[in-house]
This record gives sequence, C-alpha cells and structure tokens, in this order.
Amino acid sequence: MVSAWPFGGGERKITGSKHPAPPLSPILLAGFGLRLVPPAVLRPALGVAMAAMKRRHPGVFARLAELGEPSYLIDPVDLPFVLLLRLEREAPTLTAASGPEGFEATATIRGPLLVLIGLLEGRLDGDALFFSRDLVIEGNTEAVVALRNAVDGAEVDLLSDVLSLLGPFAGPARLAAGGAIALFSRAAEDLETLRTAIIAPAMRRADAGIRQLDKELGALKRQAPGGRRR
Amino acid sequence: MTAPLELVCPAGTPAALRAAVDAGADSVYLGFRDATNARNFPGLNFSRGELKQGAAYAHDHGAEIFVAINTYPEAGNLDPWHRAVDDAAALGADAILLADIGLADYAARNHPDLRRHLSVQASASNVEAIRFYHREFAIKRVVLPRVLTIGEIAALNAQVPVETEIFVFGGLCVMAEGRCALSSYITGVSPNKDGACSPASHVRYEERGDELVSKLGDHTINVFASGEAAGYPTLCKGRFVTRGRVSYLFEDPASLNAIGMLPELMAAGVTAIKIEGRQRGKAYVSMVVGAFRRAVDAAAKGEAAPPVDLGAVTEGQRQTTGAYRKAWQ
Repeated sequence: MVSAWPFGGGERKITGSKHPAPPLSPILLAGFGLRLVPPAVLRPALGVAMAAMKRRHPGVFARLAELGEPSYLIDPVDLPFVLLLRLEREAPTLTAASGPEGFEATATIRGPLLVLIGLLEGRLDGDALFFSRDLVIEGNTEAVVALRNAVDGAEVDLLSDVLSLLGPFAGPARLAAGGAIALFSRAAEDLETLRTAIIAPAMRRADAGIRQLDKELGALKRQAPGGRRR
Repeated sequence: MTAPLELVCPAGTPAALRAAVDAGADSVYLGFRDATNARNFPGLNFSRGELKQGAAYAHDHGAEIFVAINTYPEAGNLDPWHRAVDDAAALGADAILLADIGLADYAARNHPDLRRHLSVQASASNVEAIRFYHREFAIKRVVLPRVLTIGEIAALNAQVPVETEIFVFGGLCVMAEGRCALSSYITGVSPNKDGACSPASHVRYEERGDELVSKLGDHTINVFASGEAAGYPTLCKGRFVTRGRVSYLFEDPASLNAIGMLPELMAAGVTAIKIEGRQRGKAYVSMVVGAFRRAVDAAAKGEAAPPVDLGAVTEGQRQTTGAYRKAWQ
C-alpha cells in the first residue's frame, strides 16, 4: 500500500510498512513548516554538525575505516527530508534531500528524529528499538551495525559538540538552547496529553471488546471436549 | 549481611566500559578487535591502547577487567591468540577468559600469575570436566553453560575446587555453547572459530507489506507480523514451516532474566553473576547493570530486589528463567 507523505507536496511517497508511524510530537508539527524549506537551506547547519563530529570524535571514523566508504540514507520519518551520510575517507559529508531518489545508499536507517538522535548520543539501545520495530534498517546490515557501534562508543553530545564550535558565543547559545529545550519539552507534554485524550474513547471500546472476547473464548474452552468444566 | 555476588558486566566499547563501571560493575569483560573473542562484530571491541586506558579507569574505581580470548585458534595460525594472551597480561587485565585447551596451556606456562577463567564457550558442565581444567591449567573460575538447574548448580558447587559464574541476563544460546555449528552451515562463519554468530555481513532485513522479513544468507529466518516484537536473525531463533505448521523449532526469541533468583543463586554457592551483551550499546549496559547492582546489594542484605522492568531491552521483548527453573526434560 502506498500512501501520500503526510506533509503533501507530492514529491515524496512513502510505503506505510517501510516507515514507522511518526509519533505526535513537536518535531512532526515543525515538519509542516519545514516542507516549505528547500533542503539545501540545511546545508550549513549539517556542515557544522559534521565538522563537530570530525573534530570531537575522530574515533568514530577510525572504527568505520575497515568498511571502506559506506553511505547511509538516514530517514527521520517525522520530517519531510532525508539525510545522506557519505563516509568518504578524505571528506565525509552529511547533506539533506527531499527524498532518496538518485542516492545509492549502502544502508538505510529509518525512525523518528528523536529516536535517531537518542541513538547517536547512545541514550537509547539500538537493539531494543529494533525489537520494538521503532527502528527500521535495510540494505547492508554490517554497515549499520558498524555505524551503531562506532557512534555508541563515541559519547556524542550533539548540543555540546555543536556549541564547541561557536567559541565566545557558546555561552549565550547554550542559554538559548536551554530555553528552546524547555519549550520543546512543554510542547511534547501537551501533545501527549492531547493524544491520550483523542484516543481514549477508542481505547475504552478496544478494552471492552478484548474483555468480551476473553469471556467468549473461556466459555468455548469450557464447552470443548476435554475442556475444564466447573 | 552476607557477601554479595560479584557482578560481571559486558563492554563492547570504552564508553560502555565506563558506563558499566559507573553503574556499579565489580568487573567488566571485553575483547580485542579481532577473531580471538566470541563477539567479533564490526565497529566493536578494544584496541590495545583502549584496553590499557579502560583497565586504568576500572582499577581507579575499584573494578576489575577480564579479557575474553574465548574462540578456538585456527590451526597453523596460533599467533593472534598467543599475542592476545600476552597483551592482556601486559596491559593490566585481572583475568582472561579461555575456552581452548591449547591456549589454556599456553597461558598457564607463560603467564602463571595471570588469573584464568574458563569461558562458557568451553561448555564445561560437569564435575569431572571442571576438575580437569583446574588440575591441568589452574583455572580459578568456570562460567557455567546455561543448561543447569539451580539444584544442579548447587550440587556441582559442593564438589568442584573452583569458583562458578553464571549468566543472569541477556541473550540465550541453544545449550550447545562452544559446540554450535548452526551459523557456519549457512555463512561459513561461527562464534567458535570466527567470533561471530550469524554475522551482520550475511544478514538482510526486508519490509514486505506490513511484515518484517529477516534473512541469513539466502534463507528466511523469520517473518514478523505487523506490530510483533522482532528478534535476532540467528538460526536457533528461526521460525520455520515443518509439516505444515509454523513454529520456533529450537528456541523462542527471548532473553534470560534471573534477577528474581539472586538469593537462590547465593544459596547455591555461586560466586559471580554475569550479564550478557558486549554487542549492546551503553544505554543497555547502564540500565541493566544499574538494575542488577541494586538487586545484588539488596540480596546481600536479605532484602527483596527493587522492582524493575527490563522488558524493553529483551529479545523479542520476552523474558525467561531458562534452565534455572527447567520445566522440561
């Protein structure tokens, strides 16, 4: 089944099964605004992030050296663009595009943005996310495992890493970032409350249905030959 | 208060080592970045320099380092395994974990003061086998295969002259550790010789409609329905069609969790408990080691373990006490 990318635009189609459903979060809502922004606008920010990684965590690239020069399609399912990570030995790059077209990736990694950042920073366990199906991987599994192990071992702190490049502006930028994070957390809590309220009637109906089915199943088991009878 | 169980924890990277020590590990086990250890995965494990730094960090915090050199050396190519033993001794390891008899002999002759533990890969599960390793190679501790009941462990402990260590959390093998060749039938690579079971280089995942298909080589290992928790793509945890019925032939995808059995393990004479998962990230290490630290300390005081839910980090999101409470013959 093919469904339209929820942000519209038509340039990107997703297969429901290949994309974990994006959670209702401020990221998802921000994506509505970002769909109007050409991915090229993100180039400077991604360049800064990559420079910080190279400067602060050279061990990541050393651990990946034996794989050759893999490339990854990183797909935050709650944003209207994908990230293209090319680990070329001399000059690894991170860029954004509106879709995967024309990019031959060694492997693809899909998940909500906060899950992907949690993985990058080692705050979330990749295997657990895979077991729960919150993370989807395709292509060369060895390249994915190597990348996961390399970044997990690097003790990445995205905010600190980027701020480290700002020199004297790092202090004010950290204050601003702290405010933004607090706002984000509040918005995330509000959205979770909203989500719970919206699905509550459906959950109540589902629970009642399950209880009724359990009751009927118990009755059938008791009536079956050899079944327990009271 | 009785002596607490020693908590032995996994580390696949220096960051995971620090996470384990910070979360309360008594000792951390790890391997070199090659086929000399049974978790030879891409991007994982320690360089010589990282081991030296990691050992210093652990020792500064009162923890010990065990180096797993627990694969079976390749005929005619003993050098990497001998070098691993020599380097572990030189770089500050407190013990080495061995499986191969020849390597145990090499370590005993060349590094008599370096403590030797018998890896689970040696599959020593009876009194005679353990006495042999102790007599011939002065093995001080045996990591028991995950095949014994608590009663059998207690009976064994009463008769062997060494400490025993048992797994209490993490992935489970099909009770043929050190002798399992399932992975090599399909991939040519096995945990025993190469340090990798179902190596990632041979694994593929495919999304098919709403289903997730896991493949090892050209063989479908499992098909997970929409929303069903997934497991590792190992043959032993495969779901196959036999006589028209789909089932897990060998073993369901589930993780061992014996956190509720620590008082029984203490009563059975176990010295150390081990958490599996050198291939897991530092988030897993922090969470699981922290939970077991609290449970071990509570058990030593005779108190109940604090409630904790580790279900999210278990394979297939399912848990079992495995053979410790064996309900089959």
